Amino acid sequence: MSDSIRVVRALSRRALNEILRVPGAAIPGILAPTIFLIGLTGAFGKAAQLPGFGAGDFRTFIVPVSILQGAGFTGAATGVNLARDIEQGWFDRLLVCPAPRVTLLAGIVSSAALRSLLPASFVFVVAEIIGVRWPGVDGLVIAFVLAMGLATVMAFWSVIIALRFRTQQAAPLMQVANFVAVLFTTSYAPKELLAGWLQTIASINPVTHVLDGARQGFVGAVTWHDTWPALVSILGLQLVLGALAVRSLRRFGV
Amino acid sequence: MPAIEVQGLERVFKGGLRAVDGIDLEVAAGEVYGFLGPNGAGKTTTVRMLVTLLRPTGGRALVAGHDVAKEPHLVRKRIGVALQEAALDALMTGRELMELQATLHGIPPRDVSDRAAALIERVGLSQAAERRVGTYSGGMRRRLDLAMALIHSPEVLFLDEPTTGLDPVSRITLWEEVRRLRDEGTTVFLTTQYLEEADVLADRVGIINAGRIVAEGTPAQLKSEVGRPHLDLTFSGEPDIDRARELLAAFGDPRPPAEGCHLSIAVAGGATAIAPVVRALDEAGFLVASLELVQPTLDDVFVEKTGRHLEGAEQAAPLPEPVA
Amino acid sequence: MLHAAVALARRSLRTTLRRPQFLAPLVVFPSLLLAINTGGLHRSTDLPGFPHVHGFLDFQLAAAMCQSLMLGGVSAGIATALEIEGGFFDRLLASPVPRLSIPLGRIMAGAVIAAAQVVYFLALGLIFGAHIAAGVPGVALVLLIGIATGTGFAALGVMLALRARSASTVQGIFPLVFVVLFVSSAFFPRKLLSHPADWVAAYNPLSYVADGIRDPIISPITASTVLEGLAAAAGIAAAGIALSVVALRGRLREA
Repeated sequence: MSDSIRVVRALSRRALNEILRVPGAAIPGILAPTIFLIGLTGAFGKAAQLPGFGAGDFRTFIVPVSILQGAGFTGAATGVNLARDIEQGWFDRLLVCPAPRVTLLAGIVSSAALRSLLPASFVFVVAEIIGVRWPGVDGLVIAFVLAMGLATVMAFWSVIIALRFRTQQAAPLMQVANFVAVLFTTSYAPKELLAGWLQTIASINPVTHVLDGARQGFVGAVTWHDTWPALVSILGLQLVLGALAVRSLRRFGV
Repeated sequence: MPAIEVQGLERVFKGGLRAVDGIDLEVAAGEVYGFLGPNGAGKTTTVRMLVTLLRPTGGRALVAGHDVAKEPHLVRKRIGVALQEAALDALMTGRELMELQATLHGIPPRDVSDRAAALIERVGLSQAAERRVGTYSGGMRRRLDLAMALIHSPEVLFLDEPTTGLDPVSRITLWEEVRRLRDEGTTVFLTTQYLEEADVLADRVGIINAGRIVAEGTPAQLKSEVGRPHLDLTFSGEPDIDRARELLAAFGDPRPPAEGCHLSIAVAGGATAIAPVVRALDEAGFLVASLELVQPTLDDVFVEKTGRHLEGAEQAAPLPEPVA
Repeated sequence: MLHAAVALARRSLRTTLRRPQFLAPLVVFPSLLLAINTGGLHRSTDLPGFPHVHGFLDFQLAAAMCQSLMLGGVSAGIATALEIEGGFFDRLLASPVPRLSIPLGRIMAGAVIAAAQVVYFLALGLIFGAHIAAGVPGVALVLLIGIATGTGFAALGVMLALRARSASTVQGIFPLVFVVLFVSSAFFPRKLLSHPADWVAAYNPLSYVADGIRDPIISPITASTVLEGLAAAAGIAAAGIALSVVALRGRLREA
């Protein structure tokens, strides 16, 4: 058991190298959600005046979207890195060591949650600068916990894709899932204001609960009523995708 | 108990490509086994099956006493692997990579640092240990790769074309290391396309071509099977090669020419065969530009078994898709 | 020279179509964003000051097209940069091919791809219930503005590639695409943009392009809007081509 923890820690440290040792590697992950936050606010800000939107402004409404997007993007990058490791033969090295497959997967994915704090924090700081309502410590903690959870979910997804296609060219497929999962929710407006088809999708999409959970501190008070569905959804997604990722890894090679 | 035991091992890829077509081999503990063959012969596929990176589609293989398909995790505990691509993380230093490898192989934390340092010293990388691997030369990367493969003192070491692309000095250094490992009792399974490497390093050699083993034995045994030295002749001008071949048939068996207007015949008598051959050619009006008596090599063994030369016989192997 | 440019254009098109990972960003992401914007904010048409439209989708089509055209430009730049990195560009330079035809070929391919992008989004819009208020002449105008704009962006992409020489540098422009889009009237009417986006949008040529593309879709043709759109598109095309020629000359001088 302690061997496994050491392996996970060692692989996690290696994954963090990319941010720590490659100047500018983290920038795309930070820039994209920030541009979306500011840009969407600039473009669609007046939409918050629509009746039914609820109190508050558009930027406060979409800040959690940007936080989750950034976290998800970072998580998806895990798969891109794995695909690169597969292409370059590094992954073979991991496969021939005696560590169990589950441990290897945990090691590969574990840093995603940590790395997601970078864009999440940056977006949050920018948000506060442009006047977004302070969510309270509880609201902030929940938003970040859910962001880290989503990063892990996206890491599992992107690992599955990487193991299936074994090439970095599958990167758009990894990223588009994050895009769709986070945006096809109550991302832009409360459910009642969405078009019918999007209402249906948002109702089915478990990330809607995650988004609502991350948003609650920003738009009002944090309640257990809004928190538990978010936690259940994120845990459920982690379990399902995690299991699929383990299965993919076990089928890879012997 | 043999270190490696292979029976009827097969690997068929999608589309029916039989990369490994039923091979049997046995490697004794402490032996250096040279697995020799041209590109595309199935060497790497075989190694990947033996190191549990690829599932065999038929047959059976035991490495260090464990079945590669049924007990891969036990095999992994006992093997060290240095594959064709020295896959190293350019952002990490040599020492960091060694310590990561040690952790991956379950070496207790208190021993990690010392083991890493000892192996780095053994392969002569102490000066470069704190530098990022991205700055290492090809030879240094291979040495680090070898050190990483040895971190957990494996019973069986797999080296897949370890000197391909290396300069002569790095190659010699690696050969010395292999000899040292053999002296220490490690079994080494070495694949190579260089016959000199197999000849010099291996206790026994298996020659693979198109997925099948075509010859196996010690280098001396294999060469003596082929038996005879051969005469390589180069003619000047534009000779009638067919007439020359007919003429020389009386002195020995023709072999595939290497290139151009050359002829090669296997001769029984060795050096004593030279004079009659030259006389006959001279009387027939051929102008011989050069003549060389060549002792048998593993390439001759290969030619004997397959009709082709080993070196320079490149096959473009398509990238295979795994069978579902 | 035209002959060589056409041949190179055909080659560019062929290689682009063989690399789906280049096409995906041009079409998939803008389509997804179109869906999300329309589905999420369709009630925006109720806002006071919002122009009268048949539906929010009709309004958003121009945004999707502009996004797609800009990404097409980045794509052309990446493809050119890869050719430079891979040595194909040098091989062309060493051949008797007229110099100008080299970037021109890629730019012409960009024009063809732009036409396809515009047609795609028009078709997508129609399938999902949009109306082209100005009918066939409207479609023709949308195509004209779109092709000119796409040509200009392709030319700008080529210029970037010639200056930067590395595909990853060109790829770094992606975020800038969205910045330019957000500070224009592509997604929302200029009067309803938040400050200071509304102010920047007044000076952003993409606003005029977007308005020019949008006008025939949401209403009978308004000459001034369409003409401004055409002018802006022509300006982008002219500037792009000029800049890419200058970049080519600069590169040849260094060689």
